[in-house]
Amino acid sequence: MTAAAPATAGEKTAALVASVEDLRVHFELKAGVLHAVDGVSFDIADGETLGLVGETGCGKSVTARSFLRLIPTPPGRYAGGRIRFWPKEARQSGGEPVDLLQVPTSDMLDIRGNRIAMIFQDPGKALNPALPIREQVAEVFYQHRTEDLLEAWNGRAPRPIRRAASQRAGKLERLAFKFPPLRSQSKRLKRRVDELVGDALAETQIHNPRKIMASYPHELSGGMKQRVMIAQALACNPDLLIADEPTTALDVTIQARILELIRELQHAHQTSVLYISHDLSLVRRICDRIAVMYAGRIAEIGTTQQVFHDPRHPYTQGLLAAVPSFAHRRGELAAIEGTVPELIDPDPSCRFHTRCAFATDICGRVDPVLDGRVAGRPVACHGYASPEELGVAAAELPHLDRSPA
Amino acid sequence: MTTLRDDTVATPAKVGNEPVITLRGVEKYFPVREGVFQQVVGHVRAVDNVSFEIPRGQTVGLVGESGCGKTTLGRCIAGLTDATGGGIYFRLSVADRQFLDQVDAIPQEQRTQEQRDRVERLERAHRIDRLKGDAWRTYRRNCQFVFQDAFSSLNPRQLVKDIVGRPLKVYKEASGPGLTERVVGLLESVGLGRQHLYRYPHEFSGGQRQRISIARALALDPEFIVLDEPTSALDVSVQSQILNLLHELQQERGLTYLFITHDLGVVRLMSDDIVVMYLGEVMEHATSEELFASPRHPYTDALLAANPDLLSDGDEDTEMRGLEGTLPDPARPPRGCRFHTRCPVATPRCGWEVDDAVAWLLDNATVLDGLSGVERATDFDSVLRFGDEAAAGEAASLLESSDVPASMRTAMVELGTDGAQLRIRFEEVDAVRLEDVGGGHTTSCILHTSQSAGS
Amino acid sequence: MVDTAAPREPLTRTESGPLAVRLRRAGELTREVLRNPTTLMGLIVIVTLISLAFLAPLLTEPNRPDAYQMPRDWGATNAPPGTPGHLLGTTSTGGDVLYGVLWGARTSLRMSLIVVGVTMTVGTIMGSIAGFIGGKVDEFIMRIVDVLLAIPELIFALAIAAVLGPSFANIIFALSVVFWVKYARIIRGQIIHVKHNEYVDSARVIGDSKLNIYRKDVLPNSVTPVVVQATLDMGNIVLVGATLSFIGLAEAGLAEWGVLVSEGQAGISSGRWWASTFPGAMVFLWALAFNLLGDGLRDVLDPRTGGR
Repeated sequence: MTAAAPATAGEKTAALVASVEDLRVHFELKAGVLHAVDGVSFDIADGETLGLVGETGCGKSVTARSFLRLIPTPPGRYAGGRIRFWPKEARQSGGEPVDLLQVPTSDMLDIRGNRIAMIFQDPGKALNPALPIREQVAEVFYQHRTEDLLEAWNGRAPRPIRRAASQRAGKLERLAFKFPPLRSQSKRLKRRVDELVGDALAETQIHNPRKIMASYPHELSGGMKQRVMIAQALACNPDLLIADEPTTALDVTIQARILELIRELQHAHQTSVLYISHDLSLVRRICDRIAVMYAGRIAEIGTTQQVFHDPRHPYTQGLLAAVPSFAHRRGELAAIEGTVPELIDPDPSCRFHTRCAFATDICGRVDPVLDGRVAGRPVACHGYASPEELGVAAAELPHLDRSPA
Repeated sequence: MTTLRDDTVATPAKVGNEPVITLRGVEKYFPVREGVFQQVVGHVRAVDNVSFEIPRGQTVGLVGESGCGKTTLGRCIAGLTDATGGGIYFRLSVADRQFLDQVDAIPQEQRTQEQRDRVERLERAHRIDRLKGDAWRTYRRNCQFVFQDAFSSLNPRQLVKDIVGRPLKVYKEASGPGLTERVVGLLESVGLGRQHLYRYPHEFSGGQRQRISIARALALDPEFIVLDEPTSALDVSVQSQILNLLHELQQERGLTYLFITHDLGVVRLMSDDIVVMYLGEVMEHATSEELFASPRHPYTDALLAANPDLLSDGDEDTEMRGLEGTLPDPARPPRGCRFHTRCPVATPRCGWEVDDAVAWLLDNATVLDGLSGVERATDFDSVLRFGDEAAAGEAASLLESSDVPASMRTAMVELGTDGAQLRIRFEEVDAVRLEDVGGGHTTSCILHTSQSAGS
Repeated sequence: MVDTAAPREPLTRTESGPLAVRLRRAGELTREVLRNPTTLMGLIVIVTLISLAFLAPLLTEPNRPDAYQMPRDWGATNAPPGTPGHLLGTTSTGGDVLYGVLWGARTSLRMSLIVVGVTMTVGTIMGSIAGFIGGKVDEFIMRIVDVLLAIPELIFALAIAAVLGPSFANIIFALSVVFWVKYARIIRGQIIHVKHNEYVDSARVIGDSKLNIYRKDVLPNSVTPVVVQATLDMGNIVLVGATLSFIGLAEAGLAEWGVLVSEGQAGISSGRWWASTFPGAMVFLWALAFNLLGDGLRDVLDPRTGGR
């Protein structure tokens, strides 16, 4: 709990949903220790959509999965830092946050899908092919919203029904549901489940929820499956929705629909969203703020406006210039030469220095800090560092063109 | 030479550029088999009646979403699979193509012997599925393919030298030290080098693997390369490296590309001409500037709306719009315009049919649970039989309600119940055709062309 | 989970020839295999057993005229282990157990090599034809394979050997008839999977011949499970072969573990354990060792890791 919290001072915690501080996730591989996430810090404010952008292998998915402790250990290891999370009650009453890396597994099970929900890139893999959609969405209600299911009983539901509502009914009880007096009550419960599942699906603009509920995943298109995933994720009104490349597997026209949907639902529920993507033009349409990741670290954080119109980190600048856009001519696409460095047992250095046009000697020797003092917002680049603190002459720092077009 | 055009074949004007590849009504149908004896019960029309030309030294972009048939078409052109209809021609001159088109318009029995002989000669000399011996080898050497997934397209058990040098060995162009030097030259031309000769593919990153694929494709100094989503699996920063490389190679070697992609940004950057496909058919074909400046098909509009950054430099926050609905079954493509089921500007004359009404009922109501049978006179005229009168009445009133898209409602010329039966009849329309709207820009949308679908 | 699976910039390495690269890769694979202690143990046992088989003529005086017949010392029947001249004792008919164990190793090695060699070749050819050509040919071959697989292999081999009469050669023949089908099925499945890989299409685009595509692209990427199966079979065949000769389908008096166990079984009840136990232990060790090695190979050569 003594981890340094650079750039995320404790004062602003009142409005935060989550705060990642110096997160380190390592993987023990045969070749050495892979520093997949190496000192990542950012905050997610209540009701905001934060984009976590970066290319393959930058650690954005590992960061996202760390929120729910979904990294298999071993080979993975949470090597440091913390992820503090303020559930709704804590935010309202100024209560203490929980550290998602430390909470007991039983509490984590209650957080997963209930307080923090996640949607994945490939909805085809996230849905069970052997169960109809109804059962899969109902699962969430059985797990986390038993009281809602039993609303009609005003807290006087018989024990077997209560157990059925959390899917703990035994064989005998299920047999008893076939006969009076439990029969009608069990039917009532089933109707209630149908109602809630139907509502959840309808909210994601599925026109005929009844038909979808009876379908199996393979009968649905990719876009429809992703809607079901979103319905499932939002069923419990979570405090935080983590969307891990939710539209990457979809066609562009469908992708646009899903993006709109997520944005609408985010507004309606006031849910905070951590939106992970490699696609800059997408995050720009949905996010309030953007954190750019490169090789296991945050390169810079800023509002969408700032990142797109005034990118500070050379990597962000290169990335934006590399997207084929209106202004480009054939053969003149700005490319970032070289490839992402190996993250196995890396030496202290700016991870981007091998590909950076501005890199100087110091970039290959010293880890840059995610510092907002010179740049005005958090940027991890020696070009924005103070020479005094690094103990070098100002001329030794990379000289960036600090007035981007 | 001036390029003459007619209605059936789309040929943007490219004076002086003879095509390397000519497609004339290409079809690729996959049989759908069912049952114990695997009878053919239908065909998936992956590619349906596609015609265009790929002029020498140019890049034609083939854009569309998954399931539009673009990859299947690319594989047909590269000779990896045979087209089931129409013809793909290699080095067919424009004049010869026009001759073939003229003869096609003449009924079989009215053709003169001379015409038949010339058709036969042309087909044997140019149609890729009829090429033999040296002609086939010439085509094979000159038409190469770069796959999307550079990992699975490189044999994991071969060294880079063997992979890149293999085409040279097959055609006995080089061996021994000569081969090694040729391979080094090829590697250098794609930004790799001698130090990479004796490594296995898995030792390389995605971008480098794609460079190896490109080097292999270049080995025989081909005229034409099919690039099937060559950068879709790559990160943006690496994608730009590969795109620049492809452009550079084209400039140096005068290559002709067919660039298949779903990414409009990439295709605009790379292509001279763009062909937009949807559900196996060409929707629109124009030069790159023309297509982006004034798209003439609602599907192209939809693709652009899904990626609004492409239309401006992104300063104003243009809204991003997507498409409703799902891709129809390619084994039973919609009548009229294939896009009409999802088209935001569909008119009553776009091809509405009984299946559309049924699909709408399925998506929006449960009344079809009571359906007991369908008597289909035509695709436009059917009788739905329900279990009881009430269900039929309910279906009818649902279809009359304002929830139904107005264009579909208007197209319904008859909707009446007779007991438990519901008769639905739509106005019958013809299939849409690609039509020139000026300057070689062709589109199949009836809103933009003179054709008024209908009988 | 970790999306940095692919190595980024390969380590800079000075130029080395193709042979050196292939050798280094073979070395890497070997080290990988030997990293697992149980696999290593299996390999040690195998090397020991095979050395014994090779050294048999040096360790014991070969019997004349046929060295594969047990020598009979009628002067010392039922001698216990430790008897001078009969280190592991003798059987009730004066057969030297040590001789049987050592020459039995030779017999077993010969048998398993022949059977695995034949079945692997036949199976690979049949499976390749079925998988690579497909269609009717595939249907035809695979129906034969299905029929053969429906019969338990031991019973099938037993039936063939029984019909042909008791002889060791017939056992080898029977085993060969039974064991090829597995290879055919494995290689067919692999080929059908591999031939849809894009590197096969790439070779077609170049214009390479079908035979070359099979030789360079399809077969090398399909054989690993065959190698694993062959290793496992080296053990299984000795087990099944010993069973067949135990029930008397080999020539009497053959220096073979199964024959020796059956010669000694009568003595077990009267405390003469050695004549059955030593050859029995050899069968056990042999089968176990090859299974350990096979499993180790499977882990390393798993096609999912692309044979890295």
